[in-house]
Amino acid sequence: MDRERGLMRRVAKGDQAAFTELVEGYGSKLLAVARRLLGTRADAEDAVQRALLQCYQSAASYEPRWAVSTWLYRILTNICVDELRRRTVRHAYVSAPPAEAPSPFDAPGDAGRRIDVARALARVPREARVLLALHYVNGLGNAELARIRGISINTVKSQLARGKTILRAALAEGDHT
Amino acid sequence: MKTDLDRLLVDYFQPGVPTADLARRVLKEAAKAGREVEDLVERLAIAATPRGISLIRPGRQARVETAAGRHLVDRAREELHEYLLGQRAFFSVPVDLSAAPDFQAKVLRAAGAIPFGQARPYAWVAKRIGHPRAVRAVGTALGKNPVPLIVPCHRVLKSDGGVGGYIFGTSMKQRLLGLERVTPVLEGCTSTHIICRVGCPQLRRAKPANRVVFASVEDARSVGYRPCRVCRPSQAA
Repeated sequence: MDRERGLMRRVAKGDQAAFTELVEGYGSKLLAVARRLLGTRADAEDAVQRALLQCYQSAASYEPRWAVSTWLYRILTNICVDELRRRTVRHAYVSAPPAEAPSPFDAPGDAGRRIDVARALARVPREARVLLALHYVNGLGNAELARIRGISINTVKSQLARGKTILRAALAEGDHT
Repeated sequence: MKTDLDRLLVDYFQPGVPTADLARRVLKEAAKAGREVEDLVERLAIAATPRGISLIRPGRQARVETAAGRHLVDRAREELHEYLLGQRAFFSVPVDLSAAPDFQAKVLRAAGAIPFGQARPYAWVAKRIGHPRAVRAVGTALGKNPVPLIVPCHRVLKSDGGVGGYIFGTSMKQRLLGLERVTPVLEGCTSTHIICRVGCPQLRRAKPANRVVFASVEDARSVGYRPCRVCRPSQAA
């Protein structure tokens, strides 16, 4: 943790090697969160790139009382959530369905099951979906999730429980159709 | 204890493999970030009547006669500055379109209804004002927009996806659309649990580290935030 804070201090001074090390440490996890929230790899890469750019440009405002991961995930989820808002407005105009189902060709493992999960997740309210993504990509605990989204720990618990209940029901429904 | 659902989700949310040169691309982007958009406000001449902003054009600022007019010009300049820095997603300063002919006023009001960060074709505006065949006249009316930026004629594009003309040049039009694409619209303060439109004076008091973005007022309510009574975020698109 202290090593990461040290890295951030170096990034704030414009140390590009420190920034590269930070990206190597977090790039894949940030991409996984964005990928599952935004659906397409291109949108996810764009969001991660914007988040890292913001991280680099505002590194001087990083407060060491925060874990670096909390700060990075806050920046990324802010960007992803705003992109989801833009899609809602855009789709109200062009009336096209959201492109949230992943392609079975871009992920290892059971592709069919992945599509089931993606469809089930699309039925989970946005805030709960964001918390589920952060929790399962990196195993983040309730306290860190609460700090990332600026909500209480009890709200995190209730949102996660509600999200999982909806997921379970949606997956069970899929199994019976 | 991990359930089947937990295992399924851990598998589903496996970390991805980022592009190899991700850090290098971000650093390259950071190096080319210019200030053309932020500096635009310093090159604007703004005029106002006591009822609102009546003209924005490239050029040197002329003296504003009335105190009410001066107050409005200062307010417009401040809001434009925040907008160009990506810190404002709406304008609260009033505009005075009384000098615009009836047709142009309708066109400008229709352009003003395009949500922040979105774009519509000229034909959409023509249809909205009840003159679906007057696409060219719509283009002319927008080209003479007396208060660009505040009345967002830059959000109107050609039907073939082309950018179309703009008083500050097509490059600036593209930059403004890009700026709006990365400026959030709804932010909540983590210490007050109040959600505002970005640019609200209430939100300005919150430190950047205490701000979270929401996709809708309903989403914010679902996790314990309440809408601001000053900027009324429910009205935001």
